[in-house]
Amino acid sequence: MSTSPGTVTMAQARVSQRAIAPSRGGRPWTFYALAALFTFYVVALYGPMICIYILSFQDIRGGLVFPMKGLSLHWFIDLFTQVRTGDVQGAFERSIKLAVLVTVITVVVSFMAAMAFRRRFPGDNIVFSLMIGSLVAPGLVLGIGVGLLFNAIGIETSWYGSALGAQLSWTLPFGVLVMFAVMSRFNPAWEEAARDLGATAWQTTRLVIIPVLAPGLVAVALFGFTLSYDEFARTLQTAGPQNTLPLEIWSMTLNVTSPSLYALGTVTTVISFIIIGTALGAIVLIQKRRGARAGGH
Amino acid sequence: MAVQRGDIELAGLSKSYDGIHTVVHGINLKIPDGAYCCFLGPSGCGKTTILRMIAGHEDPSDGEIVIGGENVVGLAPIQRGTAMMFQSYALFPHLSVRDNIAFALRVRGLSKTDRYRQTDAMIEKVRLTELADRLPAQLSGGQQQRVALARAAITEPRVLLLDEPLSALDEQLRVQMRLELQRMQRELGITFVHVTHSQLEAIALADMVVVMESGQIKQAGAAREVYASPRDRYVAEFLGGQNVLSGKVEAIEGGRLLFAQPDRKPLSAPLRANIRVGVGDRIDVAVRRDDIELLRPNAMISAQQQSALPSRVLAIEYQGSFVKVMLDAVADEEFVAYVPERTFYRDPLVIGDVVLATWAIDHARLLDRS
Amino acid sequence: MTLSRPLVGWLYVSPLMLVLIPFFVLPILVVLVASVFETDGFGGLIPTFTLANYATVLTSGLTFNLYFETVQFTVLTWFFSLILGFFVAYFLVFHVRNPLLAIGLFLICTVPFWTSNIIRMISWIPLLGKEGLINSALLHLGLIREPLGFLLYSSFAVVVAYVHQLTIFMIVPIFNSMARIDKRVIEAAVDAGASRFDILRLIVVPLSKSGIALGSIFVASIVMGDFFVTKVMSGGGSASVVGAFYEDISVLQYPSAAASAVILTVILLTMVSLILRTVDIRKEITR
Repeated sequence: MSTSPGTVTMAQARVSQRAIAPSRGGRPWTFYALAALFTFYVVALYGPMICIYILSFQDIRGGLVFPMKGLSLHWFIDLFTQVRTGDVQGAFERSIKLAVLVTVITVVVSFMAAMAFRRRFPGDNIVFSLMIGSLVAPGLVLGIGVGLLFNAIGIETSWYGSALGAQLSWTLPFGVLVMFAVMSRFNPAWEEAARDLGATAWQTTRLVIIPVLAPGLVAVALFGFTLSYDEFARTLQTAGPQNTLPLEIWSMTLNVTSPSLYALGTVTTVISFIIIGTALGAIVLIQKRRGARAGGH
Repeated sequence: MAVQRGDIELAGLSKSYDGIHTVVHGINLKIPDGAYCCFLGPSGCGKTTILRMIAGHEDPSDGEIVIGGENVVGLAPIQRGTAMMFQSYALFPHLSVRDNIAFALRVRGLSKTDRYRQTDAMIEKVRLTELADRLPAQLSGGQQQRVALARAAITEPRVLLLDEPLSALDEQLRVQMRLELQRMQRELGITFVHVTHSQLEAIALADMVVVMESGQIKQAGAAREVYASPRDRYVAEFLGGQNVLSGKVEAIEGGRLLFAQPDRKPLSAPLRANIRVGVGDRIDVAVRRDDIELLRPNAMISAQQQSALPSRVLAIEYQGSFVKVMLDAVADEEFVAYVPERTFYRDPLVIGDVVLATWAIDHARLLDRS
Repeated sequence: MTLSRPLVGWLYVSPLMLVLIPFFVLPILVVLVASVFETDGFGGLIPTFTLANYATVLTSGLTFNLYFETVQFTVLTWFFSLILGFFVAYFLVFHVRNPLLAIGLFLICTVPFWTSNIIRMISWIPLLGKEGLINSALLHLGLIREPLGFLLYSSFAVVVAYVHQLTIFMIVPIFNSMARIDKRVIEAAVDAGASRFDILRLIVVPLSKSGIALGSIFVASIVMGDFFVTKVMSGGGSASVVGAFYEDISVLQYPSAAASAVILTVILLTMVSLILRTVDIRKEITR
């Protein structure tokens, strides 16, 4: 084995300096740099909101900025009792109801659509493109469009009608995309095995597909709920005479004068957290129950 | 003879996709009831497609599948009396062993007590009683296979279909599970149709081996038949254990033919009753690897009884009870001798040694043209 | 199979279409139609066919300025959210050893997404304002003598708010793509002597392409389609395309607003389909 002059053998290549040496259990410098970046990101993420939460606990002297004045639940009470042009309580209720509706519909429809997409069918690309289009289109434009449409037809816009539809046009694409990701971990052999053992299509869906996909379905539900609960642009023009919560917040934002808005922020966040907690708890419970059923009596 | 419950007949069975891509070309085969039948072939030869068509998970483009006397084409899997054991088992990940096995009974509407009673009996049979509450993810490969087997068997099928059941296992486990499969088949007494790409597995397990290539059956018969008396070059090479020599017939005389190739001297092979040859034909002749005796160059041989090819040793592989010696006797083709271990070590060879590869002329076997 | 396959497919996808058609396809068509009508000056529409609205919008210098500003914000937001999102995802996938911890940290990043984005937007006030925390801290530390005005109600604030809100849209798909990279591929690269940067450049980035593409689609379409963040965070100093659209609607200038909306939608859809050309999202997600 001879090398002609001018060729570089592996030993001579300038490799060793930049190559990664096996770690002796310690971390490379990039870890610390990235960890710092990550920490900065999380702090920046939560920081502003935490300011709001803290400031919402001021007492009657409270203003919109620091320093904090006093400690009380004054503004929370003010939020719900103060006579004002808006209707926070009602908006709350409507938002929750609408979000629940959207959640249920999103889970069912996304599940069905994802099942359809497992195999190619004529026109499936068109459906997929429409879905992406619905996701990408400016919410306000669609909202206006829906409003105009309903006007032209003569139906009134309402939070349980036109707003529901408009929100679904936003949550369904998300739901289907999440289901796509979840389905990719689903082995079609399970379905065939069920069929082989005599299960009907419905039995297969009920006994095999849904239980296996359960954590994914919970994730879709979570998406559906929070996307609806916080949805603003599409709902703005389609909600009709009664506001949902984000619309209510919006009108309060336009004339921000007191920390009651912050109190509202805290309350909605608490509600969101409760929902997330429940959803995650459900997923953990499902996984645990499967693990606990094993391992003997 | 009356038609038995689990015998299978495939008649003109074909499968093609979009009318262009044909995977299975008009297969005709009869599998007797209670037989262990292995479909053997490389990936893409159509063996799995045939299995799935018998199972009902795929529809044939043409032809009939008759099980126990009735044509099952068009029937749902469960109506055929077949059950399938899937590759990588496809155990329901969210159900325990017991619930996996009981699944078929559950979808039939049996009450919990009833189905658990039957299931527990089956669990006993496959010796998984202590693991009945475990999830598939907590089981070893061999245990998973037993669950898959039990799950299929509980439907009391007349034919059990196995899709490469041992491929996912490691060597040692594979050998163990082979015995398990054999045992189960004898106990259940039903027809097993087992698809594999491993020739060792097929000849170890099967009463009937079906060798396939590109959607066609090359040879179907008992294991010994297929291994020791291959019909053509493809079967000979796929089953291993044979050297295949090709050449042009130069002379036919006294029950033997002489065939030659430009780069080596002519060799003899006995004629076979049902194969016609003429001078000038191109033929293939198979010689079993374990029929070849390696002698030092100055050894005495009888030209009337033995063929001999001088060659050089290219490689040596120790295989325990025999030694595999690769020779360059034939240009561009493998020529291998299986030498019994003790015989080899009486006068061991090294790479580069010149030897005489000899065999009894009568042990050479004329093959059909593929 | 009792029904033919295509029929089954359409059956299952019909509820989705039942929503998409009346709430996406038709509204777009309505807006399209409205854009070729004339306004009667009082909020009514005269059904004709005129391209005058488009002409006005396309030749107006105002339009150009609007798009310029909006595109500027889009590009800046995309850039910063990509850098931040990419490295956060990279950290979570490749540097956090415990998978459970990685999921936990990932969830921590996603949680603020579940809260109202309007609230998150106004929450910058106590932080960035002239009397806000940051200014107070800097004054206190003696680093500045006067409160910094550009922190709030400025273009800076707009980009900060957008990045804050949208980085998560980058993190999620990129995390998803990165998590699918076979670790053994990385090991093979280390084996061959690649440096960390090489691995990043030659392996991780190409294999995360679909995540980056998906994230970019989300970020770009949200920023270009947004109307209130720009207005509020810039204190009215900057405007956005959809913001102008919203104002037109408020004064009942439906046809010209519709024309503007159609143009924007066309631009958005073109951009998205260009991005989708580089990456087959459907295949990537379902792989």
